[in-house]
Amino acid sequence: MSIDLQFIYTSFFQILKALPLTLVITIVPLIAGFGIGLATALIRIYRVRWIHRIADFYVSFLRGTPMLMHLFLIYYGIPMIIDKLSERYGWAFQSSSIPILVFVLIAFSLTAGAYMSEIIRSGILAVDIGQMEAAHAVGMSTFQALRRIIIPQAIGAVLPNLCSMFVGFLHGSTLAFTVSQMDILGKADVVASVSLKFLEAFIAAAFIYWGLTIIAERITALLERRVAVYSKGGVS
Amino acid sequence: MGKSFDLSLVLDFIPELLRYLHITLIVLGGSIVLGLVGGVLLAVPRLYRIPVLSQLATLYVSFMRGTPILIKLFLVYYGLPELLKPIGIDLSRTDPLLFVIVTYALSDAASFAEIFRGAVRSVDKGQTEAAYAAGMTTFQSFRRIVVPQALIVAFPNMANTLIGSLKDTSLAFSIGVMDMVGRGQTLISATSHALEVYISLSVVYYVIVIVLEKGFAFAERRLQRHERKRVVHKPAIRAKRLKEVVQKVRF
Repeated sequence: MSIDLQFIYTSFFQILKALPLTLVITIVPLIAGFGIGLATALIRIYRVRWIHRIADFYVSFLRGTPMLMHLFLIYYGIPMIIDKLSERYGWAFQSSSIPILVFVLIAFSLTAGAYMSEIIRSGILAVDIGQMEAAHAVGMSTFQALRRIIIPQAIGAVLPNLCSMFVGFLHGSTLAFTVSQMDILGKADVVASVSLKFLEAFIAAAFIYWGLTIIAERITALLERRVAVYSKGGVS
Repeated sequence: MGKSFDLSLVLDFIPELLRYLHITLIVLGGSIVLGLVGGVLLAVPRLYRIPVLSQLATLYVSFMRGTPILIKLFLVYYGLPELLKPIGIDLSRTDPLLFVIVTYALSDAASFAEIFRGAVRSVDKGQTEAAYAAGMTTFQSFRRIVVPQALIVAFPNMANTLIGSLKDTSLAFSIGVMDMVGRGQTLISATSHALEVYISLSVVYYVIVIVLEKGFAFAERRLQRHERKRVVHKPAIRAKRLKEVVQKVRF
């Protein structure tokens, strides 16, 4: 077996330059997905008429299909819709002027929203109903109670899940490679193609992802300990 | 892209894609079976704290869970032939299907190892002690008392891993496997109706996942039919259950 260890080292730093894009593709969808997920979770918990069926379908469909499909559906679907509209109303706007990154972010945000919705829903349902009743008893509205009492506790309860979402989406961001984005994997592929040292470049990329995952897990452990401070239970 | 959108094509594409369903199922079945074996082999050293082996298993699980499946696929695809060349095995003409099964098996083994470990830990230690008191050996108590109880805990997580693995198979096309997605790619080259192909693929995956979920929910109820007599209504336990509902996110 002939592995060029030196090349793993040099390519590591070349590939590391693509880290910002990978982080963008990971974090932006998580933030957008949190908003989508919170809205979807509340719609499903309160069974808002008509919309909750759509929300149910959204969550079940996105969780039931590979993330790659979401990426391709958005990547091919949205430009078509834009071009149709543009043709119909005579806009000068063309879908080709939108950077591919935008489609990647939209697709992953929708995916994140579906997974977030389940996580947040489980968190809200885990908060004792008595908390809501107590908030109502002191004169809060349902919205106030949710915002001030329920959601902070729910987030504490689902923190480990949120962090595993981060790791999941960090790994999922590699799919952006299939629509030729220069994330860590895309960069590794370029470095590999230039030098024809595929194995070495992918080993270097693997180490970057592994390192990021370990850092994320450490931060999770720290955060969990902090959250646990407030939920020791008992009276003191 | 190019041609205008035609939703009726979706109905034509679905049967065409379904003809390649068996490849997806072979990948899934092969990797799950090998992954289960690997998972047990990885979990045992950590449960019984066997020195060296236990640390190696921890490192392996950490690496497998710390890297994206697409990277692992490429590592196996480029690495396995290099690894086997010195012992005289030539993989240059092998079906890429083999690489996909190996990758998913290696990856699933890590997931299963964690699931088994957690499940065995969840069985009360008193159960093992009671088994010893009744005169069972370590192996007997493990097999007859601990494993059956642990399996009930592990089952939902195993089902989730299987569904996650099914969705992961959609990446096999990237090393040239002719599964459903691979066939989809050729359909796109032939007809340039990309969106319709991906809608068809999504429908196929969605239906398979729903069928699997229904099947697993049914199996789970059957497995737990002896458990339900115990009354567990404490909020703390309920919250713990809910936490288990949301698993590691897999694509």
